[in-house]
Amino acid sequence: MPSNASPGNRLVRTGGRIRAWLSTPANLILLLFLILLLVLTLYPLITMLLEMFTVHIGREESLTGLNAGEMTLYHFQRLFATAKNNYSRNQFWTPLLNTMAVSVTSSLIAILFGGTVAFLVTRTDMKYKKFVSSVFVFPYIMPSWTLALFWETFFKNVNIGLKTSNGIMASVFGVYAPEWFVYGFFPIALVLGLHYAPFAYILIGGILRNMDANLEEAATILKTRRFRILFRITLPIVRPAMLSTFLLVFASSMSAYSVPVFLGSPVRYYVLSTKMKALMDGTKGQAYIMVGVMILFGAAILLLNQKVTGSRKQFTTVTGKSGQISRIRLGRANRPLALILVILLILVAVVPLFTFALESVIVKAGDYSLSNMTLDFWIGQNLQERLDQGDSTGILLNPKVWSALGFSLGLAAVCALVAGTSGILVGYGVARRRGTRMSNWVNALSFFPYLMPSLAFGAIYLSMSSRIPWLGGFLLLALTGSVKYLPFASRSGVNAMLQLSGEIEEAAVITGVPWYKRMARIIFPIQRSTFLSGYLLPLVSCMRELSLFVLIVPTSNTILTTMLMQYSEKGWAQFGNAINLLIILVVLIINFTVNKLTGASIDKGVGG
Amino acid sequence: MPEITLQHVTKRFGRFVAVDDLSLVIDNNAFITLLGPSGCGKTTTLRMIAGLEVPTEGRILIGDRVVFDADRGINLSPDKRDVGFLFQNYALWPHMTVWQNIAFGLENLKWDKARIRKRVTELLEMLRIEDFEKRYPSELSGGQQQRVAIARTLAPNPQVLFMDEPLSNLDAKLRTEMRTELKRLHRDTDSTFVYVTHDQLEAMTLSTRVCIMEDGHLRQYAPPLEMYSRPASLFVAGFMGNPPMNFLEAESDGQVLTFAGIRARFLPREGTVRTGKLVLGIRPEAVMITDHGPEARVWSTLPSGMETTVRLRLGDQTLTSVVFGNLDYAPDTLVRLQFGSPALLFDREQEGAKICEGSLEIL
Amino acid sequence: MRKLFSCLLVLCLLSVSCLALAEVKDDVEAAAALTHDELVEKAMAESGTLVVAGNTSRIANAAEDFAALYNITVESTNLKDQEIYEKLQSDVIDMVMIQDGANLLAYINKGVLLNYVPASVKDLVKENDQTPALVHQYINKLFIYNNLGDSVPAIRNVWELTDPAMKGRVIFKNPESEKVNMNFLVMLTSPQWCEKLEAAYEAWKGEKADLGDYENIGYKWIAEFLENVTFGKSDTTIAEEVSQETAGGTLGLFVLSKLRSSSVLTDNLTVAQYDASEKGYVLEPFAGFMYPMYSMVSANARRPYTAMLFIEYLMTQEGFAPWGKSIGAYASNTSIPEKEGDLPLSVWKDTLVMEDPVYISENRNDVEDFVQDHLN
Repeated sequence: MPSNASPGNRLVRTGGRIRAWLSTPANLILLLFLILLLVLTLYPLITMLLEMFTVHIGREESLTGLNAGEMTLYHFQRLFATAKNNYSRNQFWTPLLNTMAVSVTSSLIAILFGGTVAFLVTRTDMKYKKFVSSVFVFPYIMPSWTLALFWETFFKNVNIGLKTSNGIMASVFGVYAPEWFVYGFFPIALVLGLHYAPFAYILIGGILRNMDANLEEAATILKTRRFRILFRITLPIVRPAMLSTFLLVFASSMSAYSVPVFLGSPVRYYVLSTKMKALMDGTKGQAYIMVGVMILFGAAILLLNQKVTGSRKQFTTVTGKSGQISRIRLGRANRPLALILVILLILVAVVPLFTFALESVIVKAGDYSLSNMTLDFWIGQNLQERLDQGDSTGILLNPKVWSALGFSLGLAAVCALVAGTSGILVGYGVARRRGTRMSNWVNALSFFPYLMPSLAFGAIYLSMSSRIPWLGGFLLLALTGSVKYLPFASRSGVNAMLQLSGEIEEAAVITGVPWYKRMARIIFPIQRSTFLSGYLLPLVSCMRELSLFVLIVPTSNTILTTMLMQYSEKGWAQFGNAINLLIILVVLIINFTVNKLTGASIDKGVGG
Repeated sequence: MPEITLQHVTKRFGRFVAVDDLSLVIDNNAFITLLGPSGCGKTTTLRMIAGLEVPTEGRILIGDRVVFDADRGINLSPDKRDVGFLFQNYALWPHMTVWQNIAFGLENLKWDKARIRKRVTELLEMLRIEDFEKRYPSELSGGQQQRVAIARTLAPNPQVLFMDEPLSNLDAKLRTEMRTELKRLHRDTDSTFVYVTHDQLEAMTLSTRVCIMEDGHLRQYAPPLEMYSRPASLFVAGFMGNPPMNFLEAESDGQVLTFAGIRARFLPREGTVRTGKLVLGIRPEAVMITDHGPEARVWSTLPSGMETTVRLRLGDQTLTSVVFGNLDYAPDTLVRLQFGSPALLFDREQEGAKICEGSLEIL
Repeated sequence: MRKLFSCLLVLCLLSVSCLALAEVKDDVEAAAALTHDELVEKAMAESGTLVVAGNTSRIANAAEDFAALYNITVESTNLKDQEIYEKLQSDVIDMVMIQDGANLLAYINKGVLLNYVPASVKDLVKENDQTPALVHQYINKLFIYNNLGDSVPAIRNVWELTDPAMKGRVIFKNPESEKVNMNFLVMLTSPQWCEKLEAAYEAWKGEKADLGDYENIGYKWIAEFLENVTFGKSDTTIAEEVSQETAGGTLGLFVLSKLRSSSVLTDNLTVAQYDASEKGYVLEPFAGFMYPMYSMVSANARRPYTAMLFIEYLMTQEGFAPWGKSIGAYASNTSIPEKEGDLPLSVWKDTLVMEDPVYISENRNDVEDFVQDHLN
């Protein structure tokens, strides 16, 4: 039959095909985002790639004997194969090993801790669930260094580290923690693990919550023992979620900077990100190679993740038909277990907040007597005359703080809106055309910004903007934030769409409901809470982001985080602590309000 | 009321061929069933006619309107094909009440308020779900959800109604009840029904014509009873009827068949018997337990009141007999058999095609 | 058509920006002779926001005062050196305050940053503070120790810091994380400082140093010093930590101006050089190190004259005030005295390791590689 097709006929045919193809909204969306993401993620990637081969102004010129701007392989040779002064070993191989150790361990800790809590909350009759589930995401809301700082101030003592002062553990309880416990590999991995444990909680909890209890019940009937059920039935089912957690935590831990600086520098424990930052100053080519190595690792795990979660069986529709989930009765272990968890959570999630509150009201460090306390740093006036330092007013009376707060909120809101909406669209396209090459591409590309270190990402966007006259100021900040946080939104978008059977939409297609109306009236309302989480995660992350924006902000007073950095730079610790607390509280309030109003919360994001 | 025509329709998902060169004419006002095991392409076919899936090749007409033509780049969207679609999982919108679910499509068609109200009320009555109009789908039982889904599908008076295994989520009793209602509905609405199922009983009982598919190919397209008595192939014969047709491995010399230690002359009414290995097919109800003929041993007996299914060992082969009335043989009882007609011969070498139809005369 | 148009547009933009670069350079050269009033006049003729960036948080205060004085808008950011360079190459900045002279040299040579010495202060600033880049102020990092307990490290000779008994009691910032610290170490390998270190060693041990495999005595000191050092994450933390009641026996090498922080318990700290000045002994051979903070005009400035006016302003008593109100900052403008209670710049220049950008940029490669091996 096709034999009689003349060339002209074929042309008509191809034209018709393209038209038909484009008339499907999912195809159009995928095409649009493919183009957008190619520009917005491949551009930075290619720029980074070029930087690895470029001679930069300064030290690199004298090292290579070349002029700035010329191309060279020198950076590779130097970073990977310089034996003199153990250069490669010290600058790359050892930090690489440390990074791997930290990232793998923190991922495991996150999965173990977050997964266990998710299991306890969703599958058992444990007490205080409500408290546990709402407080569990706190560590993620707080910048990761806050937990590191807390860990250090809590456990430090005169026998270890700087050997200069005792933290609460030593001064109040007389317990002197050993050095490995406070500095180096263990606490870095632990703090990062705790910080990212909410990912595991969200992802694994999502699956456990929706998992058909029949699966476990069937095994129970076959007289399988409890732990066997756990290992043979439950764990395999949550394995894709565990792998996703691994990917997210691994990639985040790998690029984490502040935590290893805080907890690693006193014992000379270096990871790739700390070395990368040091190399950036003067030896940028090598720094970008490190960035490349980190992206490669992330991409490898991403690929693995897609292999596993991409296969069909992982997304067998959750019917929710069984409804009744049999909760494991914990019996006598219930209360002790719940209490331990509550105390643990208070320690990692609530106590740090109090520490910041406390540090923001004392005048001289280390003196916690009432006479040393003041609310001046919050609401005081004429501070410059009275304290001979700091700003003239407490932060709540400082108009600059309020305008920065407003700007931060506005920026976060716009980023959340753009990223969140794009995430829904990407989710729609990817889920509807699942299995096609285009869908896989868009899905992978939309995750890529996650793998790129924030500082480098910000720098590249800044340089990109210099070529586009109208791109600058707020617009540039918003674009950078939106792209960087798209991965969160696209994750929740894809998950939400995969949970929704296609028939739900087709039922409306049949009666001719136009696409935008199907999105607005049917798809969004049904998956509202997951979609909203796709807005909330970028919002939260944006509010506490520093390194992504540090180069792009017009002034240091523009957003709260750069303002905070400036305060701590000046040594005005109390102002810094107060602002930090303010940021955390604002984010908590937003999360809480959105949760109350719409039922969405961070813990509904990413996962499903 | 239109006629639906499929011409050389093919659908490929990557390298996997879901539907292969399918041509089919669905008569006006028919109740057609697409029948086959899961993965045979029946749902894909249905979705292609409805416009929910885009065929790779071919042409589809509804009435004399071309709704799809790969060569000419025509692809009408589902809403322009004037069809209704009833989904397997009902696909009710969980955030809308029963009323809203039914009315939403009509609002979208820009019907005026009064007309919508009238039509929804009418449907609620027709499907006897008037009491639930303010409820949400999650507050309804499976059967009620099914009715709402039907009401929603019928609301815009579609000329053609597509149904994708609509009864598979219901329990046995409800299923029987809904079957009769669907058949009634077909008459009352005066429209064309295209129905997908893997349940041969549903196909038998509901449709005016059955289209049986396997691996993306059309195997037979005929009225159900014709398909039952004159299946075109081993596959069709095995799929239609419960308990299924007996298949006995037979050796033929052109006239006499040897199977399970029995020699029998095959008297063809249609077709010719070839020599060699063939498969002899006999419906269970054509295996009669009598007092003469070859001897068989009772393996087990399953009386169900109205009829009794008897499993028998004949030589080295097993076969099933269905006997009207209530019988109960003790296992291992020896009985004698007669074979009624039709007796069918299939040739595995021709993909199991039926080559001959006739009766047996035991020698 | 569209392609052609965008090509043309890019070309235009490129040529405009090249022109602009050249123009700024000419402007800066021309401005050298301008009086204050002429400069003001030219600056006021420019429009738009003045964008400044500095590796000092107090640039914000100066910028605010300046903005109020001339009724213009100024945007200021506080960034690290490397971030400033990053921003310079991809964004419009009018002027910068930057440290690490060695790195700066490369950017001056490339024409990215331009040197401007206001005519009004030309006679008040020492000549070597005028080239290759105008020094705005000097900052010092000093040996400062905790004066509590019975093992007070009241050092008189830097070799004491290499004593195994000091292991873990010396706190310093990781030289890789802030290049001025690295520059200090590089300077120690120069002939001038090797000589002094040798003399100090003999004074300490009474014998000539055994160099072993070390290239010179500077390397020896660096290696043995770093062996004893614990790295703190920032000068602020180091100051806070060394000042703790419980920190007896420790010594830090950090920015003197950190003593201004209310979170630092100043009473517990003794600045080694203050003690030496008071008691009349000499710290052998240095009491810490000192590096300049430079003020420069950016070659891509949109308001070059305003940038220069701001530099001129920063060089005045008024403009220096945000820094001058506490110890540890020393104006290059010789008419501005040090903060009361501090020592004058001239004394510091004699007792501290001064940064020599030219020496450092020529010699840093080997030393930095050597240093990084001793950070592990």
